[in-house]
Amino acid sequence: MKAVCQLCGYVYDDEKESVPFAELPDDWTCPCCGAPKEFFEIEGSPEEAAEPVADAQDEAIRIATDAEGDVMAGLSAGQVAALCGNLARGCEKQNLPRESALFAQLAESFTAQVEPIDGADIHGLADLLMGDAGRYAAARNAAKAAGDRGSLRALTWGERITNMLSYLVGRYLKDGEAFLKDTEVWVCAACGFIYVGDEAPELCPVCKVPAWKFEKMEVKAS
Amino acid sequence: MSTPRKYAVRNLRLCTKDCICLFVCPYGATDTENSVIDVDKCVGCGACAEACPSGAIYMVPATYPPQQKKQDSVLEAMGELSRAKADEEQIARQIAAETGEEGLARLMKAAVKSLRLVHEDVMRESGYMLPQSANAQALLARIADGEGASAQTAKELLDLIPCNEP
Ligand code: SF4
Ligand code: SF4
Ligand SMILES: [Fe+2]
Repeated sequence: MKAVCQLCGYVYDDEKESVPFAELPDDWTCPCCGAPKEFFEIEGSPEEAAEPVADAQDEAIRIATDAEGDVMAGLSAGQVAALCGNLARGCEKQNLPRESALFAQLAESFTAQVEPIDGADIHGLADLLMGDAGRYAAARNAAKAAGDRGSLRALTWGERITNMLSYLVGRYLKDGEAFLKDTEVWVCAACGFIYVGDEAPELCPVCKVPAWKFEKMEVKAS
Repeated sequence: MSTPRKYAVRNLRLCTKDCICLFVCPYGATDTENSVIDVDKCVGCGACAEACPSGAIYMVPATYPPQQKKQDSVLEAMGELSRAKADEEQIARQIAAETGEEGLARLMKAAVKSLRLVHEDVMRESGYMLPQSANAQALLARIADGEGASAQTAKELLDLIPCNEP
């Protein structure tokens, strides 16, 4: 039997391991990306077709967004910030450092204009992240129907990264500070994949850049 | 001299800084103190890129073809995602700022970075791939219409980046 990590594609082959997959402890994690055992699917088993539907959460988002005000023809400040951040990266790739820096400046100033969200807490964040499953499914269907490969690539990466974040937030809700005590939180600077462990992974399981692209999260001691 | 259709860029991470591109460039464009190839001297002949043993030089076009048009159905679905990502990022930022817990602060700092990168990627595939695109230029024009430092920055960008679409 073979089990495949749905996050990074790592294959656990019973024939090559001393312990069969089914007998691994529940707290076993993917040796490549750190995903939990439940992220593995048995090879050959039919993939669950039922796509979760976006639910009442969508309403909540729209309300929160409207409160931010109509900064740019329907785009909120947070959206314009991401847009400018993306264009900064585009300029960087085209070797336009000055333009890139200016777009980064715009991104920063729009980020500062984002209205605070009332009652923001980790439960609200967990709910929103769960709701993303439906949004990714809808976007994937639209991109497939349009034959839009660029979007499909972005959606595949984005969904994996979101799944990981959603899992980590859930873990934190369950285990609290103990979960992150004495270990590090890393972010891939290229794609945003988050990894919890003592060292950064050798290769980003999502976008495959090497370990030096990972940034260690540090906060000032209070 | 007419504007070159391409010019050479050196990837400093790959360059071993010891060799051949200095000899092959007919215009001395690769021989600079800071190792950045001189755009004003480069005519885009490609000799350096061909000669470099480390694959450290690549040619970039001076103008880009118009980006692919996106379908409305895709844009709409991407818009939903974008709004969610913006809210998620803001919630994570507020938690990171307010919490006294060290671990949670690190996790939320990671979430802010991660969500922004994912959101940027969504935007890239929402018709904003190229800074030269009509979409990007229209966005800049709207920002430039406003007031303050951002408007000034947007005007500067409009002057620097030519539009590549009618
Ligand atoms: S030929 Fe390539 S490796 Fe050698 S100095 Fe030039 S860019 Fe660097
Ligand atoms: S492309 Fe030609 S002109 Fe430009 S730096 Fe390389 S060798 Fe020199
Ligand atoms: Fe990555």
